[in-house]
Amino acid sequence: MIAVLGLVIGVVVGLFVQPEVPDAVVPYLPIAVVAALDAVFGGVRAMLDGIFDDKVFFVSFLSNVVVAALIVFLGDQLGVGSQLSTGVVVVLGIRIFSNAAAIRRHVFRA
Amino acid sequence: MSLLTNVMDHSLDEGYAEAAAARGGDGPYRIPGTARGLLTLGAGLALVGAVVTVGAVNAHKAEPTLARERDALIHRINDANGSADQLQRQVQDLRRKVESTQQHALASGDGDSAAVAGAVGLGEVTGPGVKLVVEDAPGTGAGGNVDPRSGQGFSNSGRLRDRDLQLVVNGLWASGAEAVSINGQRLTALSAIRAAGEAVLVDNRPLVPPYTVQALGDGPRLVSAFENAMAGQYLRLLQEKYGIKSTISAQKSLTLPAAVGVTLRTAQPATPEASPSASPTAGLSGSPTGSPGAAATPTGGSSAIPSASTSASPSASPSAGASPSAKATGQTGGKRSPSAPARSTTSNPTTATTTGSPSAATGAATP
Repeated sequence: MIAVLGLVIGVVVGLFVQPEVPDAVVPYLPIAVVAALDAVFGGVRAMLDGIFDDKVFFVSFLSNVVVAALIVFLGDQLGVGSQLSTGVVVVLGIRIFSNAAAIRRHVFRA
Repeated sequence: MSLLTNVMDHSLDEGYAEAAAARGGDGPYRIPGTARGLLTLGAGLALVGAVVTVGAVNAHKAEPTLARERDALIHRINDANGSADQLQRQVQDLRRKVESTQQHALASGDGDSAAVAGAVGLGEVTGPGVKLVVEDAPGTGAGGNVDPRSGQGFSNSGRLRDRDLQLVVNGLWASGAEAVSINGQRLTALSAIRAAGEAVLVDNRPLVPPYTVQALGDGPRLVSAFENAMAGQYLRLLQEKYGIKSTISAQKSLTLPAAVGVTLRTAQPATPEASPSASPTAGLSGSPTGSPGAAATPTGGSSAIPSASTSASPSASPSAGASPSAKATGQTGGKRSPSAPARSTTSNPTTATTTGSPSAATGAATP
């Protein structure tokens, strides 16, 4: 219940408040979104595995977003930003895929 | 691969397992039970929702901006292309104007200047002549689709080489040709027939086989003179030995285009008593012959490579050229003997000078 409520609140805040994203942060937003999705899938899988922990979820989400953005920022400073963001997307994409596969196994038993 | 395997195997944050182990064996733990836990979960999910939504909204907002920037760039490209086209047209117009003014100035100065222009290659000329078509031996990748990387090039003895073409052209000059063009490219005194890689170049423009050499002159006589001269025998030898086919035929009317890329550097009336050595210095092996009348020196700009040039100075103008007593003088430089079986790939300059007799023309050009 509270989970759905939290999600809805987040979407509503994002849609209606439309916080002005600073220009310096805009390039890292897509990466942050992917990192956030990774955290969510990880959390759902942990829940289905029966080892969910709210603190771990919260902290892993925050750190994922920050670290992913930081890596890309560092890459931008070094001139390899696009390559590094590709790498981050690949790694997070693999994680999302395998977590989604685990969730699928839990839900459909297949 | 271990990196990929690692990523695949540890897709779940290890913190979950650690936290579960720290809690001990109090059974499966799904949704947090405490209010604090629920609040953390809610806040985390709210953050996730906010981040995802903001990202989506931002991407959505940026889309029209990107499209606008793209449109602006396309617009700028089109604008620049248009103005470039316009400038190109302007260049063409001006070039035409310069040409006509030049012609006009030359015509007003000397009645024979049109003939001079024809003789030196600056003007289009029409008249009887011969057409010589030389074709590479079959199966040598001839026909214009030679792949420069995979082609065997000149090491393949069935291909016509620059020196062969030089010899043929020199033979035509020596046989009394008044103007020569190769594949529609007019030769001037400063034209160079060279090889670069796989291709035969005339004035740095690559030729595509078959090679069509057109020469103005008294057709049948030119044919027989050419056939009997050394160049004709050479061509026959090429056909016998390497299968390079050549056909020569007299033509009633040929039109040779004007040479392109030739700028008129100097045009000054020479005094009638000027000695032959007083003619302009072309700086090439084509030894100029002095003549009464106008002396025009066309220079081919950067296209002339003196080190490997075939230069010929046809000083007989077509108007006076019924019987230009032209003779070939000197063919030098590492020529291979026609009977030599080995065809080396090194390119040695073959220089030949054809000088017409100065008396043949009243207004002769000395390129």
